Amino acid sequence: MSKVIDSLPSLARRSDVAYLDFVEGFREFILGKGADFEDRLNQALVDEAARRGQDWQDVEHIREFVQQQPLGCLRDRLARTQQEMKWHALVRSFDEQRAKLVGELEHWASRGPGDLLLDPEFVPPSYVNVHFHLQPGGYFKDELSGFLYHWGTKVFFRGDNDADQLHARLTRFVPTPADGRVLRILDMACSVGQSTTAFRRRFPEAEVWGVDYSAPMLKVAHRRAAMLGDEVTFKQALIEHTGFADEYFDLTFAFIVFHELPLRVIEETVREAARVTRKGGVFAVYDFARTADKSPFQRYHRWFDARHNGEPYSQDFCDCDFDGLLRCYGFRVDATPLGQRAGGSGYMQNWFAIRE
Amino acid sequence: MSETPEGGTPLADEYPVYLPDPVVDAAMRMIVELSAQLWVERERRMVTEQLLESRGLLSREDIESFKADPTQVAEIKAERARFLEDVFKELKRIPVGPSHSKSG
Repeated sequence: MSKVIDSLPSLARRSDVAYLDFVEGFREFILGKGADFEDRLNQALVDEAARRGQDWQDVEHIREFVQQQPLGCLRDRLARTQQEMKWHALVRSFDEQRAKLVGELEHWASRGPGDLLLDPEFVPPSYVNVHFHLQPGGYFKDELSGFLYHWGTKVFFRGDNDADQLHARLTRFVPTPADGRVLRILDMACSVGQSTTAFRRRFPEAEVWGVDYSAPMLKVAHRRAAMLGDEVTFKQALIEHTGFADEYFDLTFAFIVFHELPLRVIEETVREAARVTRKGGVFAVYDFARTADKSPFQRYHRWFDARHNGEPYSQDFCDCDFDGLLRCYGFRVDATPLGQRAGGSGYMQNWFAIRE
Repeated sequence: MSETPEGGTPLADEYPVYLPDPVVDAAMRMIVELSAQLWVERERRMVTEQLLESRGLLSREDIESFKADPTQVAEIKAERARFLEDVFKELKRIPVGPSHSKSG
């Protein structure tokens, strides 16, 4: 069984842990080489394109072909089922100990190191009213949304991030500004703060902020950081309107958030990043790879994920000219595919942009 | 299909069916759920037997000859209800109505 880090809340029963351990293993099996769905379906798509004498253009045609294959239908069923099983088990387990967990969040809210700045007047915008990744209640409607998310992503990463090693690695790759000055860092859409604390550890003298709209996420982020002894500040705000002064940050960071934003907010967020990042500062983004770089099956999976895994804005993000948007708002873009740089799967990409 | 608050790809219904036959679709979900339940039990039994053995507390015969008292029976039945709900909740999701009739 995978090691569970201390800041993850305990589940109500040992059987809950074992159940989620099964889901984690099953997820690895159906998405990886165990069932080998991806390579087999992608090869079928490549063969079909060769037979037709034309590359796949419209994702709708890819969808029609995959869903005519019994293997494609089965793969979709299982991909959706493992996600539903995860949330079913987590919600029940947290419901059984709700009062205790809420008490834990209250206990840590007033303790340091670090600060938790919540806005009692905050009203979530309508675009976040989505059950991202099928998480019941989305990211903010349940007072335990942060705990649900933390456990949910533990299973999502299939054991590769139980000790936050993924966040530590990805934040290590982020380049420093040419002048080497890193006094202030902003983690946009920090969720439970795993990147926020990773930056604090990499730059122990820096003032590190994590911003997110979800109070339940931020409470878990603060609890986790305080438990780990990392002095960072979490603030409730929209990432497209952070409220910081112009050019306040030397390094601004956004980990897998842009694909969860409508196109309008994507642009507003890039504009905000350009405003709060100083000249010569770095804006580092990790997110889904653009459509043009995907295999036919990866394009299908992106459609499936958008429609069947609560990622409605992700296709628009992958189709948009994100490089162009960064340039438009004054960034010089260095976009090396993550797969070449960090052994990624081909689904992810990074943009390391310099504010000019 | 449901629209999002601000564009993007319309989301699937709450309980989408992926396989051509909704009953087979439900059966597939139950197979996965049963596999999870089987793993949960196997993991617990392995832990229990390892603990008992390491402490010299119990023999296999003790387990075979165990008789539950009324409180224990009630606890086992509650756990059985939880197990049945986990595995067979899928049956409630099989769609019904004219548009789901078997043709031919």
